[in-house]
Amino acid sequence: MAITDELRHLELYLFDEFQKGRKVADLYELVQYAGNIVPRLYLLITVGLVYIKTNTCLKRNLLKDMVEMCRGVQHPLRGLFLRNYLLQCTRNVLPDVAEQEDESEGSVRDSIDFVLMNFAEMNKLWVRMQHQGHSRDRERREREREELRILVGTNLVRLSQLETVNLDKYKKLVLPGILEQVVSCRDAIAQEYLMECIIQVFPDEFHLQTLHAFLKSCAELQTGVNVKNIIITLIDRLATFSQRADAAVGSSSIPSDVRLFDVFSDQVATIIQAINMFHSLLQSRQDMPPEDIVSLQVSLVNLAHKCYPDRVDYVDKVLLTTLQIFQKLNIDRIEYSSALARELTKLMKIPVDNYNNLLTVLQLQHYGPLLDAFDYHGRKNLAAYIVTNALDNETLVPTQEQVDTILTMLSSLIQDQSDQPSAEEDPEDFAEEQGLLGRFIHLLRSDIPDQQYLILSTARKHFGAGGNRRIKYTLPPIVFQAYQLAFRFKALKNEDEMWEKKCQKIFQFCHQTITALIKAELAELPLRLFLQGAIAVGLMEFENYETVAYEFMSQAFSLYEDEISDSKAQLAAITLIVATFEQMSCFSEENHEPLRTQCALAASKLLKKPDQCRGVATCSHLFWSGKSIATGGKEMHDGKRVLECLKKGVRIGNQCMDPSVQVQLFVELLNHYIYFYEKENDQVTIQILNQLIGKIREELPNLEANEETEQINKHFNNTLEHLRNRVDSPESEGLSAVLQKLAQLPSSDVDCIVDALDRAVPSHQPAELVSKTECFNSIIDDTEGL
Amino acid sequence: MRLNSALDEVQSANPCTSIPRSSVIIGGPGNITSFFGFGQSADIEIILDGTENRKMAELKSEDGKKERHFLYYDGETVSGKVNVTLKKPGSKLEHQGIKIEFVGQIELYYDRGNHHEFTSLVKELARPGELTQNTMYAFEFQNVEKPFESYTGSNVRLRYFLRVTIVRRLSDMVKEVDIVVHTLSCYPDMNNSIKMEVGIEDCLHIEFEYNKSKYHLKDVIVGKIYFLLVRIKIKNMEIAIIKRETTGSGPNTFTENETIAKYEIMDGAPVRGESIPIRVFLAGYDLTPSMRDINKKFSVRYYLNLVLMDEEDRRYFKQQEITLWRKGEKTRKNLQTSATSPQLPHLVTGGADSLTAHNHNSDPKDLSGTIEDMKRDMDDEEHSSNSTVPPVSSHGDACSTSLTAGGLDE
Repeated sequence: MAITDELRHLELYLFDEFQKGRKVADLYELVQYAGNIVPRLYLLITVGLVYIKTNTCLKRNLLKDMVEMCRGVQHPLRGLFLRNYLLQCTRNVLPDVAEQEDESEGSVRDSIDFVLMNFAEMNKLWVRMQHQGHSRDRERREREREELRILVGTNLVRLSQLETVNLDKYKKLVLPGILEQVVSCRDAIAQEYLMECIIQVFPDEFHLQTLHAFLKSCAELQTGVNVKNIIITLIDRLATFSQRADAAVGSSSIPSDVRLFDVFSDQVATIIQAINMFHSLLQSRQDMPPEDIVSLQVSLVNLAHKCYPDRVDYVDKVLLTTLQIFQKLNIDRIEYSSALARELTKLMKIPVDNYNNLLTVLQLQHYGPLLDAFDYHGRKNLAAYIVTNALDNETLVPTQEQVDTILTMLSSLIQDQSDQPSAEEDPEDFAEEQGLLGRFIHLLRSDIPDQQYLILSTARKHFGAGGNRRIKYTLPPIVFQAYQLAFRFKALKNEDEMWEKKCQKIFQFCHQTITALIKAELAELPLRLFLQGAIAVGLMEFENYETVAYEFMSQAFSLYEDEISDSKAQLAAITLIVATFEQMSCFSEENHEPLRTQCALAASKLLKKPDQCRGVATCSHLFWSGKSIATGGKEMHDGKRVLECLKKGVRIGNQCMDPSVQVQLFVELLNHYIYFYEKENDQVTIQILNQLIGKIREELPNLEANEETEQINKHFNNTLEHLRNRVDSPESEGLSAVLQKLAQLPSSDVDCIVDALDRAVPSHQPAELVSKTECFNSIIDDTEGL
Repeated sequence: MRLNSALDEVQSANPCTSIPRSSVIIGGPGNITSFFGFGQSADIEIILDGTENRKMAELKSEDGKKERHFLYYDGETVSGKVNVTLKKPGSKLEHQGIKIEFVGQIELYYDRGNHHEFTSLVKELARPGELTQNTMYAFEFQNVEKPFESYTGSNVRLRYFLRVTIVRRLSDMVKEVDIVVHTLSCYPDMNNSIKMEVGIEDCLHIEFEYNKSKYHLKDVIVGKIYFLLVRIKIKNMEIAIIKRETTGSGPNTFTENETIAKYEIMDGAPVRGESIPIRVFLAGYDLTPSMRDINKKFSVRYYLNLVLMDEEDRRYFKQQEITLWRKGEKTRKNLQTSATSPQLPHLVTGGADSLTAHNHNSDPKDLSGTIEDMKRDMDDEEHSSNSTVPPVSSHGDACSTSLTAGGLDE
């Protein structure tokens, strides 16, 4: 390198000399007397440059001469540096005029020829390095080549710096020249580097117009070349370019807007053409590993998306080709862990992420089929991704056709798959993914109720096939959706004559759906759904609704009787039934009476005494605040029966062996008594209260001192406190006063009081409905909605 | 070793020898004795006419020194004056006559006694008598025929000189002055390019082309080498200009090869399909025109030797005779003026402009019938010993010379 600096000095000196009138021509000859070729050519170039500067009329011939003479150095390293020196020296004298004013001074055409020739020769030398020397030095050689590549690339930079190279010249002269050399050198390292070089050094406008030639060459590259990277680089450049162009169109306020836009849309058209070309390129390169093809498709999709976000069909086209390629390669199951699957997942996620709209993704007709190329895990994974995206964006799916398509697409989540591995999945993961689906169901929503019904039927069909494990997550949301729909019909009853029929149908639908859950050997869930349904029906007031409500209630009862055997569950269930029934006012006495009695009976038939006691106490409320048509929707206030129930409770309490439980039950019963007392049930007298209080006081000190006892004690004291307050401020409304008190209590006590309240106030929402799973969260949403 | 020294001199062309000497050179074989005893009673001086306009040219003397003498062409009149200056004014110089001769002769170094005079013209300047004062004689050889070019080689010399003799009773007084003669040629009628495919079977096939077969002394050899097949690792390629001087005849034939120039034209290993340009400026070398059977005494021929050297220092070469000729100065001047015009004749103006483009058959096998064998130096021992010695250029030269000879002998 130092030598070139020295030569530069020489050049300056010579230039000065010849400015003074010396003859360069003689010197140009004289340096060629040197016997050794390498120094001779360095001198030739140095003097030649001075010659050119002093005799511009010889420029053209001298350039040709020098680049031709350099052929004498065939040693790769020396040749590369010599030619690099030539390129360096001539960089400021290359003719850069379009017109050939003076033939001997040359035009840009000569510059192109000059650089292209130098480029071709340098490339040949560079490639040759690969094949010289021992094969064991290959790595070192390739490293060396990497270091030298910039020398070759400089030629292309020089070409790109010629200002008079316009699109036409680039298309006809520059690019074909480069590509011919690149393709014919048949060296992977060179091809990869140079193709990237082309992309980097020349402007995007050129690339757009010459895509065809470029891609055609890509197809002819060596097998070892990473065509993927080249194409991706190109696509990325085009994509950013079109965005820039886009921005230019957007920001320009000059009147030539229209023209600019034309230009831009032209370019877009070319890009689309490019997509087609890429496809033919892909087909011509069979040797490419499929994951590379797919990752190419990834950038293609990006390109299509960036350039023309509105045109879904372009993206779809890419998907189609991908599909075709798979068919061609006979790939029908892509293993989840493979590289191909990774790339394909990337590809498939792009539309989801870019559109952030499930409906747009649905417009891609080949999305589903392509999804099917994955194995079970891949499909499921992607399905979950799609669902999550829809949830995040709250995309509503408004037609049953779309619902159908989408659920087919997501079938890996919804139904058992033929290629599903037999091993059980992690139950938590499973619950989570099914929870997603549960949430997703709420997005299947149309503003038109009839449509909504169709949607729900479609969904029901899909989810119904999900098997016992899944439907407990997926069917409840459908049922709740259906209930909600029924309310919408009710709200429209003035507009829709058919609303009653439709409602009935909806409840039939719900009934069926719940029955499906029963068939899946579930008990509590359908029970709750029935109860919820009963409440809903009770509020609907359509023709026949009492019968329907009764049916729902009786179904709940039969479930209770047939399916629920655990005593705790039984208590919980009967509490729920009672609470539901207490709320409902749609029944005639004819229906109300058996249900009422059934409740009381069921309660008293519970296995454990404490359960019986609590159940009976709860039932007491039915006779007080229960409503029926007979009472005209008002509470029936059957004080006698209430007292009977409570007394029965006390009696049962007495039968308990465990004193601690016994006292607890008494305290709870005391609460019930007080409640009714406050509600002015004349059957409940102070005497009864005192009797009970006395009994509790009697028993309480006998209990073992432990945490439980303390709680009972506190509960009791609080109750007494309440009574005292009640006496102090009789005007305050009973329950609200209790609640106010509650708020002031230490939190450790709240639980037990809430517990008591549950029993005391059956109208309280059944807290048990709140389950751990997300699925149930959504149910809660609905219950609130109701 | 003679060759080496000759080559060294070419390379160290010494400008000191260019001082023109107008004074008389006294010398020549047999003349030295003439000064013994008598002292120099008179000086002889030969003054040529028109020296102010006459060109001078270099001539190598026998011991390798360069001298400059006036240059004459064939048919030119050689005229001038002879001054005889007496040392002691007033003394007398008695003589048997004074004559001047114009001599062209060939000296073979191995046959010192015999000089072959091919030209000898005599003019009498004075009849026998007495010189009492300094005297001047004019002489003129009208339109002298000078058929051959002056030449100094390794075994032979061809020279022209003027000799003034004052004939005396005991010993003559002699004075000689050399002149240089250049023979000029016209443009050759036929001047085909040299084009040939050569090779070693399945190893190396090349095609070379020199633009002419006849070059004038300031000419440029333009050509190119096209590699059709390369299966050996070539290190470099050079063109050597070899001068072959043949003297004598029959059993007394002596041949001397001298490498006048070595010119590297390629560095590194080419691959098939590569074409390497050749451009050699002859003006840089000490060359003479080719000479054939000069007076049946000697010949000087020139060869272009294309030498390829592989990585094991084996040499492959092909010799090709070229004819060198001397172009007249006037025409040369015309050429020079044309050379300053934009079109320089020796520039490569295109891929194959200066050479006829030809289609290379891509399959070298088809050509195998027409390929001439290249000479291959198989003398590995000598070269392996060479390689142990640090590269001494003189050694290499000698070596290549012997190789060339070997190639010829085969």
